[in-house]
Amino acid sequence: MSSRTAMRSATSVSRGGHGPLVEYSGVSVSYGELVAVNNVSFSVERGEILCIIGPNGAGKTTLLRMTSGLLRPTGGQIWFEGLRIDTMPAHRIAALGATQLFQDIQLFDNMSVLDNVMTGAHVWSDGGLIGSSLRLAAIVDEERRIRRAAVEQLSLVGLTGVLHEFPAALSWGERKLVGLARALLCRPTLLLLDEPYGGLDTEEIDRLSRMLRTLKSEGMTILMVEHLTDVVMDVADRVVVLHYGEMLAEGTPDTIREDERVIATYLGD
Amino acid sequence: MTPIVARAKARASRLVPMPRVPRLALILLAVVAALPLVGNAYILSVLIKVGLHAVIAMGLVLLTGLAGQVSLGQGVFFGTGAYVSALLVLKTGVSPWLALPLAAATSGLLAAPIGRAILRLKGIIVAGVTLTVNLIFFYLVVSLSGLTGGATGLSQIPRLEYPRIMPYTTFVFYVVWLIAVVCLILSVNIAASRVGRALKSVNLLGGGSEDTAQVLGIDVMHFKVAAYIVAAVFAGVAGSVYAHYTSVIEPHTFSVQTSVLVAIMVILGGVTNPWGAIVGSALIVGLTEFLREVAPIVLGGPTGAYELVAYGVVLVATLLFLPSGLCSLPARIEEWRRGRRL
Repeated sequence: MSSRTAMRSATSVSRGGHGPLVEYSGVSVSYGELVAVNNVSFSVERGEILCIIGPNGAGKTTLLRMTSGLLRPTGGQIWFEGLRIDTMPAHRIAALGATQLFQDIQLFDNMSVLDNVMTGAHVWSDGGLIGSSLRLAAIVDEERRIRRAAVEQLSLVGLTGVLHEFPAALSWGERKLVGLARALLCRPTLLLLDEPYGGLDTEEIDRLSRMLRTLKSEGMTILMVEHLTDVVMDVADRVVVLHYGEMLAEGTPDTIREDERVIATYLGD
Repeated sequence: MTPIVARAKARASRLVPMPRVPRLALILLAVVAALPLVGNAYILSVLIKVGLHAVIAMGLVLLTGLAGQVSLGQGVFFGTGAYVSALLVLKTGVSPWLALPLAAATSGLLAAPIGRAILRLKGIIVAGVTLTVNLIFFYLVVSLSGLTGGATGLSQIPRLEYPRIMPYTTFVFYVVWLIAVVCLILSVNIAASRVGRALKSVNLLGGGSEDTAQVLGIDVMHFKVAAYIVAAVFAGVAGSVYAHYTSVIEPHTFSVQTSVLVAIMVILGGVTNPWGAIVGSALIVGLTEFLREVAPIVLGGPTGAYELVAYGVVLVATLLFLPSGLCSLPARIEEWRRGRRL
């Protein structure tokens, strides 16, 4: 099986539909006096890689957390797959097809690599308490399917031989890959990545970029926060620039690279 | 075979339990089956205590070891099982065998709203609040003397109906250990399933992360409450059997001391291992009986004078040398042997 075909079978399913996949409409969030995100409006098109850039404190991670449901906006609306999600709990948004990979990965240290990745299948499997405790045949079948999918996903991200290791035994790069494999096993339509390139060496950066392009070619939509501007300009279809919680610019990498306001406030000469 | 029959057969085959019975569980069953042949009534009564505490402790392994929710209030559900079962039989005359599942279900039903309220809290505060709930339960049972018999409790609780081919203690021994083995198998199955992974993912004490769990589609509160209910049902079953075994129940049996003791059992045995519940309760119940019977003769002093000191010493020693509990001993020995070979 080619890696691309395998990636399709094991990861994203583009759910079709019309119009943008995600829409932010006047989204704001404030903590008392501090306004972290102020009246931000833009949309994420289906099947694109959209990168959010900006200096520290610009509100990039806050925007991702609002999208995954971990943070409620104090104003505005967020729409995903035509449904308003800014008041939904995070697990329901995940069930709709959006999952997030955190900057610090947050692998479950009390589980093996395999179990970590298998947790990604939670959203599309349905073994309940009674069936699991009685170990019904249907549950056993489902567990086998999940295990197979997890092993396949790990091999797709290039990790084999660490299935039964615990996260503490992995390098930073390996942890990132396990986190990515786990997120991909959710079979998301929208993948939210918070600084996925942080802490990776040049070879790992190239490998991750290739993976993201493959996922995009399979129809997955990726919304990513990233500091490495060279990488952003390389992989992104469009870029949104935030500055102190406000939207400074939006456009293709070439447009952003030449935007004077962006150069003055963020990119520099 | 018609397609309808084939479909029905396929559907039925998906509902066939495929229990994962570890070899050790089979050995345990064999030992349990043989013990009444060699043990006297006193030994069997001690082993009944071990089995009942192990059942409560297994619930705590799921709740604390897997889901990371520390409870110092399992006495509430142990007591609910005992009182509901005793009252059902005494007041309505139903069979104790019918009262047992009803009492366990009542414990589970009581746990649902309590769990929903308590498990919004995080960390050690959960332990404090569960302990407080246990205190409230204790004073409630003492206060509602018209129903519960107050501080003196209830007596003359009918026994479980049993075949008269063996003594009642032997029969209860088999019942208790059958329940313990069933709870062990259920716990092992849960731990190795999708539900087990969801519980581990919300375990902040063990390295889980609620944020990550949520973005992976896990309803954090649902699974925490589910673990709380299962632990309550286990404790309720133990409470019901206890009531019909001893025929007498009083509030002190279900006090905070019992809850703390069960928590100590779990820590000693190994908080993440259902087997640890059996090991921990065997150690604590065995130690208690030894100190109660032997220590006053050898060392002098009143009965029970050494229990708290002994619990403390055993707990500190275990935490120092085997922080993952006694069940981790074989793995530690293997590590040590490997180290020597290198």
